[in-house]
Amino acid sequence: MLALKELLGSKLKFTLIALVIGLVVSLTMVTSAMSEGLLTGMSGAKSSLEADALVFQRATYPTLERSILSADDLEIIAQTPGVASVYGVGHTYASVSSTAEAFDVRVFGLGDRLDQLPIVEGTGAIGPCETVVDITAKLEGVELGDTLTLTPVDAKLTVVGFTEDRRYVMVPTLFVDLPTWEGLHVASVLGRIEEEGGTDAAATAQMEDDFAGSASVAAITLDEGVTLEDVQDAFGDDYTAASPDEAARSGNGMPEMILAVGGIQWVSITIGALLVGVFFYITTLHKTGQIAAIKAIGASNAHLYRQLLLQITVLVAVATVLGIVVALGAGAGMPPMMAFDPDPGRWTVAVLAVFATAYVGSLFSLRSILKTDPATALGRSSEA
Amino acid sequence: MFEVKHITKTYGTGRTQVTALDDVSFRLDRGRLLAVLGPSGSGKTTLVSIIAGLLQPTSGEIIIGGKQVHLRSAAEAARYRRTEVGLVFQEHHLVPYLTARENLLLVPHLSGRVTRAHKERADTLLADFGLTERAAHRPSLLSGGERQRVAIARALMNEPEIMLVDEPTSSLDTERGLQVVELLKQQIHERAMTCIMVTHDPRMAGHADEELHLVDGKVVDNGARAAVEAGIQKS
Repeated sequence: MLALKELLGSKLKFTLIALVIGLVVSLTMVTSAMSEGLLTGMSGAKSSLEADALVFQRATYPTLERSILSADDLEIIAQTPGVASVYGVGHTYASVSSTAEAFDVRVFGLGDRLDQLPIVEGTGAIGPCETVVDITAKLEGVELGDTLTLTPVDAKLTVVGFTEDRRYVMVPTLFVDLPTWEGLHVASVLGRIEEEGGTDAAATAQMEDDFAGSASVAAITLDEGVTLEDVQDAFGDDYTAASPDEAARSGNGMPEMILAVGGIQWVSITIGALLVGVFFYITTLHKTGQIAAIKAIGASNAHLYRQLLLQITVLVAVATVLGIVVALGAGAGMPPMMAFDPDPGRWTVAVLAVFATAYVGSLFSLRSILKTDPATALGRSSEA
Repeated sequence: MFEVKHITKTYGTGRTQVTALDDVSFRLDRGRLLAVLGPSGSGKTTLVSIIAGLLQPTSGEIIIGGKQVHLRSAAEAARYRRTEVGLVFQEHHLVPYLTARENLLLVPHLSGRVTRAHKERADTLLADFGLTERAAHRPSLLSGGERQRVAIARALMNEPEIMLVDEPTSSLDTERGLQVVELLKQQIHERAMTCIMVTHDPRMAGHADEELHLVDGKVVDNGARAAVEAGIQKS
């Protein structure tokens, strides 16, 4: 009764603090969504691969761009005890030059698991020289049925479908079958070699032969009961295995980015906790006379603290609703290319963290409640 | 029957020791209003604080209805105040964001549950104190006299064994102060309760059934009263 009556009796005061806490909550949520958005934008194509682990060439982990596995490597990996199935994943760079303005893309070749892409438009059935493209390419003017010209390899791909959340290093990803990727990759490497002084036909043939059946990394599933550590032990130093999510989070610059955004989130939550703590502490200090009188007529410390916790719960709940509305509004107002990917799980964690830290902040007030001497209501201190 | 037996309260030790109450004893029957008089620093508030369980005496006993009051913890003292004691403060100390009626219902709320009987009792008390029309008003909208009447009604909500009233008229003018004391006395008699009222005003004390005079923590006999009263009037 006391807690809610006081909230209703001092609307302006509590509304203002709810607004401030709400903004802190929204900041926490926006940074969480941006963190998730950055992760998806930077490595969604990699982290979403259907596999228990990605296997990298020796000493190249976590750089997908440097790893290359030959057909023999893929066979060795497939024969490793504990490995249930393998498909190759190829990666290469390209630019699309057939749109009004050229834009960079990453090309991913998928072995026999082309069906794993979530299709939001068109089809997922990819044939030779066909591609499923991340939907963000639409912002560059790409449409279903377009024929994309890739440079510098001078290849053409027909867009048969669009997928989502499959960007890599913040640019759209083009998914192709593995033979198409192989052709693009070899052409890309040969193109670079030619730029540096050319090569001969024999070397070209040798390279095409070397790359036949290759991939950048191997996506593997494990036998039941087999752990990643077991398989890594079996690989020894020859290959490095990591889960797709771990590989994505370990990519160049990713740990630093995740740390920075995580730091902003924790600073926000800490500021929120301090705000709640200091606000209620000052409020409690302002009403020590009233607390002393209520204690003098029989209120226990536990009762008063329960009332305080109820006030904090109501206030933070209102602030959380406000924070969610502001965060969703901010997300809706962001440009489509902006990394913003709200994750209900992470938002729940953020809200729980705000509640938990608010309760920790309430300990300042508890101290004040405990120290308030009911005898002062009669103009005397029991420690006099 | 309410009884205070050989209550002594000292603060500090050695050369810094101060005796606030020195072997204070008295008895009070049900339905009686006792005025405790004395100059500032005489120990009046200390005495009331000890009876209210807000302070522990250095020695001595308090007996209510033949049972000695033993308060071993702050929680026990709080329970004692919720059930046995009605407190009226010098300042009304009403909760500012509660209405007059809600201030009365605060008392059963602190005990855990507000029943229909509690609500009826609050309405009856407000009517007895002429506050029915003001039941939905917050303290800031009440006059000084009305606030003090609400405070007395609040103290009666838990049907206490003993009412402790600390300078109830200090913030009121003489006429309103006397009205409040008369109302208090009437309620005490009607409800056959025991009441101890601290005051430094002999005019208010004149309306009490009995008087106890404290000087330097000691009860003074009738022979010393003239000197005490002279001292009070000078102060």
